[in-house]
Amino acid sequence: MSRDSLRGKVAVIGIGLSPVGKVPGRSPLWLAADATRKAVTDASISKSEIDGVLSSHAFASPFHRFSVAFSEYFGIQPTFSNNLQVSGATAATMFNIAAAAIHGGLAKVVLVVAADSLMTGLTPDLALRSLTESRDQQYEMPFGIPVANTFAMTAHRHMKEFGTTAEQLAAVAVTQRRHASRTPGAQQTAAITIDDVLNSGMVTSPYHKLDCSLISDGGAAFLLTSAEHAKELGIEKPIYVIGGGECYTHEHIFLMPSLTVTGAVESSRRAYDMAGYRPADMDVAGVYDCFTGTVIMMLEDLGFCPKGEGGRFVADGQMTYGGAIPSNTHGGLLSFAHSGIPGSLFHFHEVVAQLRGECGERQVQGAELGLVHSLGAGFATNATTILGTRNTL
Amino acid sequence: MISAEDATRKPLPTPDADTAAFWHGLKDGKLLLQHCADCGRVQYYQQATCRACGRESLVHRAASGRGKVHSFSVVHRAPGPAFKADVPYVVILVELEEGPRMISTFAGAAPDEVTFDMDVILTFEKVSDEITLPRFRKA
Repeated sequence: MSRDSLRGKVAVIGIGLSPVGKVPGRSPLWLAADATRKAVTDASISKSEIDGVLSSHAFASPFHRFSVAFSEYFGIQPTFSNNLQVSGATAATMFNIAAAAIHGGLAKVVLVVAADSLMTGLTPDLALRSLTESRDQQYEMPFGIPVANTFAMTAHRHMKEFGTTAEQLAAVAVTQRRHASRTPGAQQTAAITIDDVLNSGMVTSPYHKLDCSLISDGGAAFLLTSAEHAKELGIEKPIYVIGGGECYTHEHIFLMPSLTVTGAVESSRRAYDMAGYRPADMDVAGVYDCFTGTVIMMLEDLGFCPKGEGGRFVADGQMTYGGAIPSNTHGGLLSFAHSGIPGSLFHFHEVVAQLRGECGERQVQGAELGLVHSLGAGFATNATTILGTRNTL
Repeated sequence: MISAEDATRKPLPTPDADTAAFWHGLKDGKLLLQHCADCGRVQYYQQATCRACGRESLVHRAASGRGKVHSFSVVHRAPGPAFKADVPYVVILVELEEGPRMISTFAGAAPDEVTFDMDVILTFEKVSDEITLPRFRKA
């Protein structure tokens, strides 16, 4: 770790969530503003203290410069702003870049916010088509590749190489649904079984409908500032950014170096190195879960279990309470909500709430260290952030 | 954001400066790979420079058309209205004999014919005056 690393320099001082799931009649800007109002209240600051805004494009919004449009909508005039876009990995990059901007003096209080209305603003058909359009127009799109397909091919190869089973994939969905049943406001809370997943209809093999994440409306917001300023503000439980890393291995799925080992290995290695902790030290995790097999591969690549063991690890209860690494305790993209770019911010919201000890009946007892891994575009983009309480500094 | 009407049409590539030769080759019944005269790298897809050495000494050569299925996924729920009539179809990740991998779809009738590491061979599907798609059938 270099002397100038971000470790412990920046803290999350406010968090907010809009309603999620089916939220008709609310634009992405409204959802973003609702989440931000709650984050501002949570931090007990005035909105005029926000001088930086990091956001991302919303499919259901006509605004090309969402962070700029949002600032106008919310009535602030920041001196640092940008829209980040590396698909599903964007969330963790927002935290890493916000921390770097604050540590580097570009801004004092940065708002990280994203919201979208994929379910009611766009409709599921158009949402899926828009995501499909994000594939290469020349070499991928003409073949009719659903957004699930690139991920499906990695999981399928994982099954071939390591003997991972459909039942093990389904165990991820079942576990996370159980988690969501204890999360107020989650989109899907009814209990499901392995058989329910296997009988839910094939989307693109090996993924059934219940192996796939949701299509949702919703947004999340966070306020970050320097550790010193958090102290001046008298923030009771600042949650510190103690490690960050990213890795980009390819754009096209056919240039992915290996279908079963991803850039998460390197992005998390960099985050662990900065934090000075190992995978086994983590108490709770938010693991990007666009599909069930994605979670299995990530639990391996993030170092929570050996390569090829992810299926057994999950089926053995290691990703839930009492296991090695309780993950996606809010239900994740599979059961809580998935509104696109904001999806992985919901993992951040849950991990920060866990580290603050605010999760009620879903609280992981004594959680001090948490990891969030965001990824996107068929594992093309990977970003990891490690968060910790004051005790972990 | 795309309109509902656009969503019913299959997306076709618009050849550009980097890819015109590729799509022209397919029209003539050839799947062109780029061979670097300097470093020997073979690459798919087409661009002006070698992705290994960065130089511009790329020569187009037709692929043998032989390859293996590295992975695949049978699509049962289409990505939007344009592909609904085609399901079930198999998206395949083919490893070409020359080394590069590419995305395509299986041209055989029965999706359950497809297995890992199965030998496949190139076939051509003309979809418009300009565009012919490279697809694969069982070898």
